[in-house]
Amino acid sequence: MAQGAKAEVGALSIRNADKVYDPEGVNVHAVMDFSMEIKAGDFFAIVGPSGCGKTTLLNAIAGFDDLTGGEIRLDGEVIAAPGVAPFPDSERIVVFQHGALFPWKTVIDNIAYGPITQNTMNKKEAHAQAKQLLSKIGLLGCEHRYPGEISSGMRRRVEIVRAMICDPKLLLLDEPFRAMDALTKSVMHEHLLKLYDDQPKTIFFITHDLEESIYLADKVIVMTSRPGTVKVVVDVDLPRPRDFRMLATDHFIELKQQAIDAVHEEARKAFEAGERELA
Amino acid sequence: MEIEAGSKTLPARMKKIYNVHAFRAMFAIVGFFILWEVLCKLKFPVFRNIPPVEEVIMGLWDVIFLPKYWASWPASFFRIISGFLLAQLVGVPLGLAMAVNRYAKDTVFPIIEILRPIPPVGWIPVAIIFWPTREMSVIFVAFLGAFWIVIVNVLGGAAAIDLRLRRAALSLGASRRDIFWKIILPATLPSIFTGMVVGMGITWEMVVAAEMIAGRTGLGYMLWEFYLTYKLGALIVCMISIGIAGYISSGLVRLAGRKLMPWRRQF
Repeated sequence: MAQGAKAEVGALSIRNADKVYDPEGVNVHAVMDFSMEIKAGDFFAIVGPSGCGKTTLLNAIAGFDDLTGGEIRLDGEVIAAPGVAPFPDSERIVVFQHGALFPWKTVIDNIAYGPITQNTMNKKEAHAQAKQLLSKIGLLGCEHRYPGEISSGMRRRVEIVRAMICDPKLLLLDEPFRAMDALTKSVMHEHLLKLYDDQPKTIFFITHDLEESIYLADKVIVMTSRPGTVKVVVDVDLPRPRDFRMLATDHFIELKQQAIDAVHEEARKAFEAGERELA
Repeated sequence: MEIEAGSKTLPARMKKIYNVHAFRAMFAIVGFFILWEVLCKLKFPVFRNIPPVEEVIMGLWDVIFLPKYWASWPASFFRIISGFLLAQLVGVPLGLAMAVNRYAKDTVFPIIEILRPIPPVGWIPVAIIFWPTREMSVIFVAFLGAFWIVIVNVLGGAAAIDLRLRRAALSLGASRRDIFWKIILPATLPSIFTGMVVGMGITWEMVVAAEMIAGRTGLGYMLWEFYLTYKLGALIVCMISIGIAGYISSGLVRLAGRKLMPWRRQF
């Protein structure tokens, strides 16, 4: 299957990003001196233990929170820095870990919400485009159901499509498949890869799962435990389009070995830190 | 067509009436009346002074031919609907204003929290003095009965809105105004309707109490009149009438909720 044209927008530059929560009080240093350059259209994954600052970084990129140091730029424009009030917008759309479909809207109205709100499409156009995207992910027929009436896997696909229809510069996925079993997850990977292949754009993907990150991404960063910073960078040169059979190849295992020790070490550190805090 | 509970041959509409849940409810109500009759006949403690079911049936026979009884239904319903609707019209916007505006909450909420513990029944004497007519006094007490419930539910519902929904909307291009009308309002609807269902029950309690004390018409007034004339059977009939009227009212609110919130199948 031919890949869609590479994205020309969505280059993300993170320089010395730093985030401290409540510096006068509990003083939690969540992210420390984190730097990364992401090219437009790259699929970028961050792996790290719980509490290492992945979501903090995502919130700063998405415009939900500010930074206490460093800066983040999207296509050269500052989107996060000390003194810059956080501003979420439709250029950076988030797919949340526990889902955020609007329960009172049907599937098709959820997907059409973005383009209609941004006045980029009228209702008819948005619904037509939504149906096209739904058929790509195998959900045509569910458009008039409510989120509560479909499975969690289906909801997650709808949420990704809701983000993609807005054609953002940057798509941020915060552990979207975390709560799924392995079989459902593998099907979701296929759907996400298909959408990415059809319409490549910059994707920032957070996960605990090293295999998942290598299978999906072009570049994987392993973060340290809190305060989070870059520990290991893995450049993934697996060809696209990707196939689940790649998971069993020698090259995939080699890529995994580049990071597995680092992931395990940081997971142990985070666990021990958690036990100390509780004690 | 043979009618059989739970039969697969029944059309959908009839299944709603003849399903097992409806039969259980009917059996429970009939069983309740049988138990009541038996306990009265056996002169069980507490039941010694309560009229048995046959006396209530005789009371029903007296009451249904009283024009005043039938006139009391619309009289009570008018007060219920007036007080209840006013409570929603004032309470919902006020609750939402306090939910989204810190200044509104800081100034209004303390006053509400001071006045709220005063039982609506305690407002009856003041209501009689405040308002120029008894009708307005009763409607005022009905209003109070629902108003506090509305405020508390709207505030609670708005506070419980998932932050992710607001963030998702902002990410998708929503403005502040959009957040209020397209996120906060629909997300708070379930809490608003829960407040309405609970508020409707309390409104009935307040209207009946106010009619007993200050009214000249209405089911509460009829109940008090039967008490004063020691017509116990008719008194029980009046109480059951109030229960049925309240059930119908709450049922109508639930029906409205199901229509306005099709995504909430359990409402």
